[in-house]
Amino acid sequence: MENSTQKLDAQALSHVSTLKITAMNLVEGLLTGQHRSRHKGSSVEFAEYKDYSPGDEIRHIDWKVVGKTDKYHVKQFEQSTNLKCTILLDASGSMGYQSPFPEQVSKMEYARNLVATLSYLFLKQFDAVGLTLFNDKVIEHIPPRSKASHFQHILHGLVNIAPKGTTQIADVLGGLSERLPGRSMLILVSDFFAPNQDLQKSLKLLCSRGIEVILFHVLHPDEIHLPFEGDIVFESLEDGSTLGLDPQDICDEYQKLIQEHINSFKKDCNGLGVDYIFQDTSEPLDQALSYYLLKRKSLTKL
Amino acid sequence: MSLNYSSPLFLFGLLGIAIPVLIHLLTRRQQKQIRFSAVHLLKQSQKRSTQKSRPNRLLLLIARCLAIALFSLALADPFFSFRQSEAFRSGSPTSTVFILDDSYSMGKKSDKNLLFDLALEFISEGVKQASDKSEFSLVLASSQTRIEQDWTSDKTTFEKTLTAQSLSFRTTSIGDAIDLSIKLLDSAKQEKKKILVLTDLDKNGWKEEAFLKLTNLAPYSIKLLDFSSLLPDDNKGMVKSVQISQEFLTQSRLLRVKAEVKNFSSTLSRVPLSLFLEGKIVKEELLNVPPGQTHSHEFSYPLRRNLPINGKIQIPDDALTSDNSRHFSFHPSQNIKVLVVDGDPETISHQSESFYLERALNPFSVSLSHIDPTVSTLAELPLRNLSDFSVVILANVRELSSGYELELEKFVLNGGALLFGMGSQVNPKYFNEHLGNLFPVKLDSLYRVQGEPLHLLLKNNAHPVVKIFSPKELAEMREINFDSIYTVQAREDKAFKVGAWFSKQHPAVIESKVGKGIVVLFLSSLDRDWNDFPIQPTFLPWIQRWTQYSARGLDSIFRQSLLVGEAFRKSASGSEGRWIVRSPDRVLHLLDDKGFTNTFQPGIYHLFSLPSSDTKTEMPKTLERLPSGAEPAGSFTVNIDTQESEPEKISHKEIQHFLEGMKIEIQEPHSQASKPQDSGGTPLATPFFLLVAGMLLVEGWMIRKE
Repeated sequence: MENSTQKLDAQALSHVSTLKITAMNLVEGLLTGQHRSRHKGSSVEFAEYKDYSPGDEIRHIDWKVVGKTDKYHVKQFEQSTNLKCTILLDASGSMGYQSPFPEQVSKMEYARNLVATLSYLFLKQFDAVGLTLFNDKVIEHIPPRSKASHFQHILHGLVNIAPKGTTQIADVLGGLSERLPGRSMLILVSDFFAPNQDLQKSLKLLCSRGIEVILFHVLHPDEIHLPFEGDIVFESLEDGSTLGLDPQDICDEYQKLIQEHINSFKKDCNGLGVDYIFQDTSEPLDQALSYYLLKRKSLTKL
Repeated sequence: MSLNYSSPLFLFGLLGIAIPVLIHLLTRRQQKQIRFSAVHLLKQSQKRSTQKSRPNRLLLLIARCLAIALFSLALADPFFSFRQSEAFRSGSPTSTVFILDDSYSMGKKSDKNLLFDLALEFISEGVKQASDKSEFSLVLASSQTRIEQDWTSDKTTFEKTLTAQSLSFRTTSIGDAIDLSIKLLDSAKQEKKKILVLTDLDKNGWKEEAFLKLTNLAPYSIKLLDFSSLLPDDNKGMVKSVQISQEFLTQSRLLRVKAEVKNFSSTLSRVPLSLFLEGKIVKEELLNVPPGQTHSHEFSYPLRRNLPINGKIQIPDDALTSDNSRHFSFHPSQNIKVLVVDGDPETISHQSESFYLERALNPFSVSLSHIDPTVSTLAELPLRNLSDFSVVILANVRELSSGYELELEKFVLNGGALLFGMGSQVNPKYFNEHLGNLFPVKLDSLYRVQGEPLHLLLKNNAHPVVKIFSPKELAEMREINFDSIYTVQAREDKAFKVGAWFSKQHPAVIESKVGKGIVVLFLSSLDRDWNDFPIQPTFLPWIQRWTQYSARGLDSIFRQSLLVGEAFRKSASGSEGRWIVRSPDRVLHLLDDKGFTNTFQPGIYHLFSLPSSDTKTEMPKTLERLPSGAEPAGSFTVNIDTQESEPEKISHKEIQHFLEGMKIEIQEPHSQASKPQDSGGTPLATPFFLLVAGMLLVEGWMIRKE
């Protein structure tokens, strides 16, 4: 466990720990945290005044306002709740891509760091975080907990990932959408190399249940730029199929295709109000996360 | 069914396939294997960029190899033939008679090969392809047609026979060859029988009379292979004939060589003509011969010496070289010394026999007529040495001095010639009693014509003396009136020949061999006493020719030009002793009594006479070198029969008419050395070139983005 912890990018963890991740929507939670709840209640944060109506608690009447205006107003406060976040990490074969070029971070390594960082952030905010690994089905599920020690469970889950199998995101999401509590958060980390998958439908279902979904699309630069040369036999990491060609022949077409792939996710996510973050593994993780969280914070009503 | 190549050397180009293979191997990159995540996207990309994708290197290699291979094959000029092999490769064994046209017209050149060689090659190929039990025979179609190889199943033997064949200078006789073939087929063993004729379909070889005798044609099939279809160039012309004459009545002694040239070309009208004498070109002329026409040209050449001369007339080489030259040989007459004995000399010279004879024998000078007459009276005769003369003419001699008959007999027995002319002085009693050993006839009586005079009958007279006279001259001679003649009676046991006849079945000239010599008896007078002959223009050549004939000088005049295959025979006057013939290839042959038949090569044949001492020794038929003492005795020329050169071809319709009843197939053969031109074989060069172009296009399309 210690070893796995050491593997995590400590610098990244420390750098992003200062940033707070806030959910855009109020989340129902048992624990009071820094996330705003849509339920008005006792809290330190004043929300608004409301005309008194029978049934309101008398202790919430702002007597100062009654003195000034001779009207009864009730003070309302925004209630902070704990967020329940489930991180869904793709553990299919495609995530195990190892670049033949040395000194490049592998995709799974990058995804691990990302998940660990996010988990740590959530836990530091006393939010519950859980981890689900999947390929064509759910491989491992660590339910969301807000205890600090839960981080170790998550790290344990991350370290033991052995990428294999094909990706069936839609099926997994379909199954999860039933189990996830409403108004929770779902972070999906995947390369989304799942042919013939109607992800939009699944996402729509999740959104309709009030689950905030964030997609982290992690791709290795090799998968974006196809920098190989020569006669190469490509063996699929998922189904073992092979294809022999000279990548230079199809490089342009491939790049175009992968951009279409990315753009289609981006477009679908925008349409559904889902956050979509494209992560190139050549981009430092802290930098990428900081940028996203800052952007997210700027949108959050504080 | 076979694939043949006109230029098989180009097949070495197939080695060029190694070049793209080497390039492929040298530039082959190491194939790497990478485990990749987005293979499905790669597949999609590959599908979407099919048109732009890099060519499959293996396909490219195949395309390049194919292009090189096809290019080499196309250059080798391949043609695919069903028919050639069909002609031979049949399931069941066949009896095949090959009729090979070895006439000189098959000597036309097709590219580098002669048609004859192509025909031989064709037969050879066919025999190789034939089934083992097949049997073959070979008939040569040049006249005289002959069976060169009787039935044999041994391909090696047949191949040897083929190798031994060479082109002849003879003419074609297809009809006779088919006749021979049918006789051969009648004795053939196999059930399947056929005749394969390899010819150029020259019309000259298809004479109707040869086909009339053909019977029993129906059971056999005949296949005619027209090799003339392989001929890229045509025969442009030929020397049709050459005639030699010597200017006789002038002082110049010019040799006139008249040549007839026929132009077969349809475009060219200028034909260079050369006169060669003794192997050297002496005159050249550029003739203007309209296409298809015959033109004659006469060369004049001054003869400086009175020696035999050989030469030829030649036009430039064309597809058929055999007919481009024609040989001739000219023998100036040797001077003949003639003793004219006038038995009735008159004071008025023109009333004497000797007056007319002397002028007829030598009108101007010795050097022109080559006859040197000496006139003598009967009284002077014993003073003359007869061995100085070749011919003695006794004209109107009554009686010889006592015992002189024996001298004359000796003279004739040793080869001299005695001519006897009648006249008023002739005493039949003396003649019959004293000259009986010399003359084969007895003088009967003087026949004085009452009424219609006698005339010479010269109709259909093939006597060598008369042979040269033109019809007009013969007609003139027939008009001559003879008023008186002697009638004769044959002596017993004496052979003689009537050289000419008078009308009413009276002999005019009687000739007889005596020993080595000859006696000639003219039964009318040699002056104007009994006839008008001496003042006729024909008297001069008549007397001269009889003199030359009796002195055996006529061979060189009328028998010096033969056609290929014609036999050379000794003249009627004959010559005792042995002669040797040297053919143009310098082979020596002994000339026997039957004559010389080995005249199959055009050119000049030299004659040599052996000394009389050699006549009785046995000699081989062919000699290695001339025996010592052999002396040149003249020469004769052999030339080709130009009928064979005529470009006219026999039509298919005529062939069918000639061979009615036979199953006839006429094809054009295909040779490795020539381009096929008909449906008998499919030329593949063009399709191969198209395929090369196709391959290059495919390659270009494959590497268009590279």
